[in-house]
This record gives sequence, C-alpha cells and structure tokens, in this order.
Amino acid sequence: MKCWNCETDTSGSPFCPTCGKIAERPAGTSHFAIFDLPLAYDVDVPALEKQFRELSLRLHPDRFAQAEAKERRLSLEQTTALNEAYKTLREPTRRAFYLLKMYGVDLEREDTGTQKDMPFEFLEEVLDLRESLEDAMAAKDLEQARKMATDVEARRKAALTEAVDMLRSLERSPSDEAAVKKASHALGRVRYFTRFLEQVEAFEEEALS
Amino acid sequence: MSKNGYLQIHDPLKPKGHAVGIDLGTTNSLVASVIQGKPRCLVTDEGERYLLPSVVHYGKDGGVVVGARAKRLAAEHPTDTIVSVKRFMGRSPEDAETRKLGAYKFASTGGKVVRFEVAGGQPVTPIEVSGEILRALKRRAETHFSAKVEQAVITVPAYFDDAQRQATKDAGRLAGLEVLRLLNEPTAAALAYGLDKGSQGTFAVYDLGGGTFDVSILKLVEGVFEVKSTGGDSALGGDDFDRAIAQRVLEAMGHTDSAPSVVAEVLAASRRAKESLTEAPEVELTVSGHQQVIRREDFEEWIRPFVQKTGVVCRRALKDAGVTAEELDGVILVGGATRVPAVRRYVAELFGREPLGDIDPDQVVALGAAVQADLLTNADRQDEVLLLDVIPLSLGLETMGGLVEKLIPRNSTIPTAAGQVFTTFKDGQTGLDVHVLQGERELVEDCRSLSRFTLSGIPPLPAGLARVEVRFQVDADGILAVTAKEQSTGVTQSITVKPSHGLTDEEIEQMLLDSIDHAEEDVQTRQLREQRVEAERVLMEAERQISENGGLLAEGERASIEAAMARVREVAKGNDSHQLKEAIHALDELSKPFVERVMNQALTKVVAGHSVEEF
Repeated sequence: MKCWNCETDTSGSPFCPTCGKIAERPAGTSHFAIFDLPLAYDVDVPALEKQFRELSLRLHPDRFAQAEAKERRLSLEQTTALNEAYKTLREPTRRAFYLLKMYGVDLEREDTGTQKDMPFEFLEEVLDLRESLEDAMAAKDLEQARKMATDVEARRKAALTEAVDMLRSLERSPSDEAAVKKASHALGRVRYFTRFLEQVEAFEEEALS
Repeated sequence: MSKNGYLQIHDPLKPKGHAVGIDLGTTNSLVASVIQGKPRCLVTDEGERYLLPSVVHYGKDGGVVVGARAKRLAAEHPTDTIVSVKRFMGRSPEDAETRKLGAYKFASTGGKVVRFEVAGGQPVTPIEVSGEILRALKRRAETHFSAKVEQAVITVPAYFDDAQRQATKDAGRLAGLEVLRLLNEPTAAALAYGLDKGSQGTFAVYDLGGGTFDVSILKLVEGVFEVKSTGGDSALGGDDFDRAIAQRVLEAMGHTDSAPSVVAEVLAASRRAKESLTEAPEVELTVSGHQQVIRREDFEEWIRPFVQKTGVVCRRALKDAGVTAEELDGVILVGGATRVPAVRRYVAELFGREPLGDIDPDQVVALGAAVQADLLTNADRQDEVLLLDVIPLSLGLETMGGLVEKLIPRNSTIPTAAGQVFTTFKDGQTGLDVHVLQGERELVEDCRSLSRFTLSGIPPLPAGLARVEVRFQVDADGILAVTAKEQSTGVTQSITVKPSHGLTDEEIEQMLLDSIDHAEEDVQTRQLREQRVEAERVLMEAERQISENGGLLAEGERASIEAAMARVREVAKGNDSHQLKEAIHALDELSKPFVERVMNQALTKVVAGHSVEEF
C-alpha cells in the first residue's frame, strides 16, 4: 500500500512512516493486525483497552475535523475498522467466532451448509430444549424458564471452553482439519445456547412488564 | 516542504472565527465558548441572561421574534408563538408525541413533516423554527466577539434517532452554521464535569430536560470518555410534568376542548406552579379567574408514572454497560427537570448514592459543547481529550415476513459500519426493495422507518446470482448513510439515502434561499419604518406651518399642498418605502415656495429681536 500523499510504502500501518499522514489500510486487514497481535485466542484485554484508547486518540474523526476531505474519509474508515476490531477481540465469544472464521468457517452466515454439518446429537439436544422452553412459556412458568437458563448457561460455558481448547491447539498445528471441525461444532452449540438465553430473557421481560 | 503547506493554513474557504457550543434545548437554549482556556456561557437574551427561551414568535408583518420577548407574546398569540419546538424535530404529524396537549395549529399538508400555521407567511417546519433559535444564538455570540461565528457543536439528546439528528443538523445549516459535530447531551455534561474535576472512573449521567430523557453510562480513563451504553425516551420530560398539572386544572375548570389561548395560559401557569413546588409544599394557581391549590404531594403522585419510566431505562442502560449501580463512581444530574425534589429522591434511591449537581444543570451541557468545539478546532488541545460515543438505537433492514434484521446493534461505538449481501429471488429480477429501520423491536411496524427505496438497474440474471451488498455507515454524529452495491457483474452502483420523513436537500436549499430573501426583506422593513417616521415628521411640520402661517399661502397653493399631504398619508399605509420616499419628496418640493415665504417673514422678525432658532 502506497501513501496517497508522498507515495512511500506504508506497509499497512495506520500512518505513513515518512510524511505522517493518515494512511489507507488494505481491504481485509484482520482485526488482529489492527492491534498488531498474532492470530491467537489469548488476548491481554487490559492491554487491548489501553491500545484502543491510544489508537482512538490518533485516528478518531474528531482529530480530523478541520482536515482535508481525503483525510477525513480515511479517519472515518480506520476508526470504523478499529471499533469493529476492538468489539470483536475484547469479548471472548466474539473473538472465538472470529478466529474460527480465519480458519475458513463462518458461523455468522445464515447458509444451511454449516447447519447441516452439525452432528445428530446436537439436533436432538436442540429439539429437546426448544420443547421444554415452549412448555414453560405456555404455562407462564418463569421459575422453570430461569432454571433452564442456568443449566443452558453452564452448557454454553462448557462448549466455549471446548472451542477455545481447539482454537489453541490450532495455533500449534493450523492445518488440523479435525480440530477445525470440533471447534466449529462447539461454537455452533455456543451460538444456539446464546440465542436460547436471549429468548428466555425476552420471555422474562415480557412476564415482568 | 509538503504540498499542503501554507495553503492549508490560509484556506480562504474556511473562515475560522470562534467556534461555539450550542445547547438547543426544549425549553431554553444556550451558547457557550472557551474563552482564555475556560468554557463560559455567553449572554443571549435581554437582562443579561444566559438562557434564551426556545420560543419563536411569528408576527403578522412577517417579523420573527425569539426568546423572552417571544415568550411574552405567547399568551396573546398562542398559535403564532412556537414553544418546545424540539419535541417535533424529525417527527411526523401522526406521531403520538405530536398529538400531546399543546397550543399549536398544524397545517394539514398531508406530508410527513410537521408544519405549524403561523401569522405572516407560509407554514413553518420545526427545522425552520429551530433555525431561528440557532440564528439568534449565533448573532448573540457574534455580538459578544464582535466577529463572525460560523462553526458550532450542537447538542442533541443521546436517544435522538437518525431523523431527529438529521433535522437538527439541517437547522444548523439553515442558521448559517457549519455543524462541526452533533454531540450527545449527557456526553457533553460528562465532558464538562470530567474536565472540571479531573475524574477517572465510571459515571452515570441522568439528564431530564424539558422534553427528553437520557441516561448514559461512561467510563473515563486517561482523557478518553468512552460511552458504554445509553438509553432514553425522546418524548419524556419536564413538559410532561406541566401537562400533568394542566390536565387536572383544565378538568377542574370544566374544560373539555379548550381554545389554544386557554391551553397556553394553563400550561404556563402549571409550569410556574411546578417550579414553585420545588421550594414550597403547596402553591395557589390562578388562571383566568380560576383558583386552585396544588399540593406537592399530589403533584408527585401525578408525575410518578413518568419518573418510574426513567428507572426502567436506567436499569437497562446499566445492564447494557455491564455494570451495577454499586460499581459506579458517581451520578451526574443534568437538565432543569432534575430540580424537582421527587426526581432527585428517585435518582438517589435508584443508584444508591447522592447525585452530583454542583455545575448548574442548565449550563453544563452548553459548557461541554463549548469544550468539544474547542477540541475540534484548536490543534493545540487535540492530545488531551477524546469522546467515544455510541449509537442509541439499533439499525436494521426489513426481511421476509415483516421482520427486522439488525445490522448494527444499539450501543455500538461510532463511527461504525455493517453490511449485508442480498441475492435476487426471481429470474431476471432487476430491482430490489430496501427498507431501513431503527429500533429494538422485532416487527417492522414497531420500529421507526428511516428510508425505503428500490435499488434498480440490477443486471437480469437467474435467481440467486445477482449479489447486492447493502452497507450501513454511521458517522461520528450518529447519522446513517446507506449505500448499495451490485457486485455480480463488477458494475458497482452506489446510492446514499436520507431519511424519508425529513426534508430533502432541495427543500433545505430553498429554505436557505428564502432566509436570504428574508434578510433583504428585513432591510426593506427597516427602511419603511424610517420613512414612515420621516413622513409623520413632515406632515406635522406642514400642518403647523399651514395653521400658523396660512395667510402666506398663494392662491391654489393650499389645495395642492393638502393633496400632496394626502398622498403621503395614503402611501405611508402601504409597504413601499421607495414610493413613500418619493411622496415625501414631492410634498417637500411643492411646499418650498411657501416655506421660503415663511422664512422671509421670519427674517423680518429677527430684525424685531427674535432669533432664527425659535423656528
């Protein structure tokens, strides 16, 4: 990537190393690259927060309020990317999903391919949970729904731990297809459990209001 | 030397001047600026007051009056005097908030924008009315600095949606201001407090103004003010407290459908009663011969539902921020309605601590806005402080079955962006309907419709092959731009949409042009007034001379002078200053021989010991 102002190679850094102008970032710069981090699950969150503040102080559109249109646009783009990267890496679940995506499996996408890929036991588990929650909701049994939520929260945590273990092992051997599959199954469960908990929460709010 | 050297410093297109911070409030507005390193509110209205009542009066002669003078005209001309215009910003005529008790006369244009019918011209939109308030503040600031003021940070309730933000920005443009930033009111307050106290930690800002309620949870670390979450209700405020009293008073008076003048009078009396109840346990309210005692106890009972509504919002904001009330380092009170003792008690109980209120809750938002304006324009201060704000309401698109799919969740740090790829579902489909919504609910009908448009020109391909990416970009003002790109053929189409119920760019341009015409009219009005005074003086003088020295008139002279005088009187009734000037001139010319004769006689009298000055 060349600097738009002085044509030096910026090699993906936020500012041109020669003239100091805000630089253009190559499309698809990873969230980890924005924070100069290796592609790994474990992130020092307080350090990340500090780095986020420091980068924000330099990149934010407020810093370019009186600058040229070109610089204002780059500031908007870079800060948008920075905010997205921070939001993703700060939170363990989002970070895990993002890492899995880097290994080629995008669970956020709503295509049936990844759904079909889930093991049969999981589908049984889903049907079972859904039926019990529907019963509790029909009976307006808030107590029962809360009990289920506690249980599902524990399952969510366990599934996330399992996924994280797989992601860590992938850092050592990145081409381990079986590990990718295991991580994707575990995170598929995390995703379902998260939605389930949101449903319980919505039910709770409705019941209380 | 870099190619951006001196030209940038001396950019003639960007006049610097003083940048100000403006709190455009429901009830009162203020303007502040950083002077010698400290934010200060500027005097804006008569009597050296900082608060400019957000009241705009439209006169029959087309004149516009803003502030305390306009407020005094409200009782006599309720529908020509617009109060609390902020409540109508970015809202449609059918909105529940628009239909609350009030003395307004809406024009039935059938459009999506509220228009008020007022004296002296076309119906006006809330944007134009707000524009008048901003223009008045701009003028006051210019008087203070004896220099042009062209850049401003304008504050908005954190919970304002996209349409309300856009409307505020348009009002700024209309007033001839470059809006440097729209700043959320609670964030502005935190900025004023944080800098004043040099605080660190997590704070809640509880902001109950005249018409809006906001709560924001912020984390202050090393000069960075990071908003963790925000919540609110853009149709809840001290005005609701006034209406709660007014409704009881109108009931007691036996009114069911009252005239606007009665409603305006009762509302004004209710507001005064509310203010008195801050100190007194009870007040006597008198309005057109009706007297009623309002006890604080009853008042608190009437407003309880509104106060409790704020509690629900606060709890959700805490949850969204991932903190508990105990983990907060302080609670900041902002807005005039937080003076109500019941509100203070409620906040103290809700957060389990006494709230801070040592910076005047009326001024604190404007002071914060002034600091932000300084930070944005003053390169020397840029490393000190930064505000990181969030979007208050989720943004999404309509999907199958009237459901909303959220693309950007609420409380995302701005600027932020998100995209979604759509495919065609019919062979040869060349258009795609895109419906942009804002809100938290699942159903389209429960969310705010921001924009609906058809993306056309998709190349005809088998179903599922054309790929259209719809991208949302929210800027640092919290304003959304939507772009859609057709990707399949490498042909990229980009469009940007504005909220459909706001004003179009063309309408804003027209208003800008009108306001320039208006300025010309203002000059004409002044000239006319001057000529009328002159006409009056000339007529008086002519009458005096005719009655005192009528004997000196030549034959037929009296008739022609009196005809010229009649002409002046006639023209003075009209609005043409030029014609009036000519009529005065004609009378002057015609009277010349007569006046000369009077002068000659006077000179003769001087010989007899009189002075010329006696004439």
